[in-house]
Amino acid sequence: MVILGLIFKEIRHRKINFMLGSLAVTMAVALFISFFTAAKASNRETARLMLSMGFNLHIISKDTDMNEFLLTGLPDQTMPEQYLQKLAHQSEISYNHLLATLQKKINWRGLDVILTGLAPEVCPPGRKKPPMSYQIERGNLYVGYRVAKTLGLKETEVVQVEGKTLKVAKCLSESGGVDDIRIQCHLRDAQDILNLPGRISEIRAVDCLCFAPTDDPVSILRKEIGPLLPEAQVFHTKAIASARAKTRQMVRNLFAVIVPFVVIACGVWIGILAVMNVRDRQPEIGIMRALGYGSGRITLLFLGKAVIIGLLGATIGYVVGTALALNFGPDIFKITAKTMIKPESSLLACSLVLAPLFAALASFVPAMIAVTYDPAVTLREE
Amino acid sequence: MICLENVVKTYRTRRGDVKALNDINLRIEKGEFVVIRGPSGSGKTTLLMTIAAMLHPTSGIVSVEQNNLYGMSIQARAKFRAENIGFVFQMFHLVPYLNVVENVLLAGGTVTNKNKNAKALELIEQFGLAGRSYHKPAELSAGEKQRTAIARAVFNRPKIILADEPTGNLDADNAASVLGYLSEFHKAGGTVILATHGVEAERFADRTINLRNGSVANLDKP
Repeated sequence: MVILGLIFKEIRHRKINFMLGSLAVTMAVALFISFFTAAKASNRETARLMLSMGFNLHIISKDTDMNEFLLTGLPDQTMPEQYLQKLAHQSEISYNHLLATLQKKINWRGLDVILTGLAPEVCPPGRKKPPMSYQIERGNLYVGYRVAKTLGLKETEVVQVEGKTLKVAKCLSESGGVDDIRIQCHLRDAQDILNLPGRISEIRAVDCLCFAPTDDPVSILRKEIGPLLPEAQVFHTKAIASARAKTRQMVRNLFAVIVPFVVIACGVWIGILAVMNVRDRQPEIGIMRALGYGSGRITLLFLGKAVIIGLLGATIGYVVGTALALNFGPDIFKITAKTMIKPESSLLACSLVLAPLFAALASFVPAMIAVTYDPAVTLREE
Repeated sequence: MICLENVVKTYRTRRGDVKALNDINLRIEKGEFVVIRGPSGSGKTTLLMTIAAMLHPTSGIVSVEQNNLYGMSIQARAKFRAENIGFVFQMFHLVPYLNVVENVLLAGGTVTNKNKNAKALELIEQFGLAGRSYHKPAELSAGEKQRTAIARAVFNRPKIILADEPTGNLDADNAASVLGYLSEFHKAGGTVILATHGVEAERFADRTINLRNGSVANLDKP
């Protein structure tokens, strides 16, 4: 009898046993896939939610009057726009988002507003990240809630700002903060309006860290940035940076504990089933040993079945787990789900390797123990 | 020739050690038909399993044609068993998911070919199971199961057949039929060792060994 033939005949004979085994592996893999996908989504969701807490590092001109800046939040001096590219292309400091702005308080249509020019956001080379700020096309204007309401502005309306023609592309919803009195446009348009070509007033950065290990990253950042941007000074909003770092770390820690636990639990589950299967088939082991079958061929029978169950369970489990994550993920992770929860093909490969491996390993040990007994002992246990 | 020298087998149980074989010394010549007789618990099955290379004795030497069975590796012993020994169990021990042909072929290893198939079908016909070739054990009567088990035992043309209460679960007709097959094997030059607590097999035997409490009580010539 060919080994593979024997395996399939046994599977056909014990259909329910095979189905239950496959179901258990399917459930274990589905749990692992859905949990892992959810964990990744949760990390992304947390990161995205943390972004809305704002930027944590501010780089402004060193000539800025700090008292005035802290009072108004507006730097009264500018610095070269090239600083953005210099900072983006250096290799000593890591960052996730860089945003250059040019801001000035102006009186527009009899109303004090903050004109804000936004440069396209810069991410580390090769890493595309969802932007933290508005990406405004040239010629467009985003109007804060209070400004739009006071001046009765509507979207698509064409307006003049200090002689420059812009289209109201968006009237923003109420923020309850300074953004309600901003009018925001592309950096180039703001430079034209304020007649400050090639100048910016601030670079804001998220997760800006120096690679040198230190207890005081800001002082190191200042040392690194000083020679690079000689006309700039650096300060960071500690509370935001600290809250962001702690929250993200907490979520990472949570999943760092739970994911391995789930993986181990699934492995143990598959293992117990494999052990039970071998125990159920002790008489067969005894018969085959009595007929002179060697331990290798008998072990192969059990490993073969375990691998088939593992492969089938991994495939179905991946489909079920992914379907669960895609179905229920958007209800949990409302912000990032639509674009970020996707089937993780790497998890399929991982499951196709791990599930049969766990099942085979779990079968291997009891099968090897069973074949080392005398056949008479195995048959007597029947 | 089968030779047992000072063979002792002790089972360890929670209630203490049970000596199933107590210093057995036996010689069984090639081509003999030997009946081992004794009441339940006398050590018949243990003795048969020990001779069949299926159960390590606690001490002593078991040799078949000057091969020390328990001095061999597990793999070598399995190979020796496959090539030299056929075993018939009281409980048949057929593989439930294989049909009659496949159960017989199981004795032929994992390589199948047309010759083996033809040989299996020939044996099945010889044992009166032609109409049952593709039936599973669950669809067979006790007699048919035992005949299948004997066909499997003789498939590799072994030199020795060991049968443990082969008629214990059969009616008189089927029992006679089974004993007839074993007798034919013996007449063809094979060695048969049959354990039973009955007397019906003794008419085929060259001699009977009586076991009592794990010891040879006496050797009878019929």
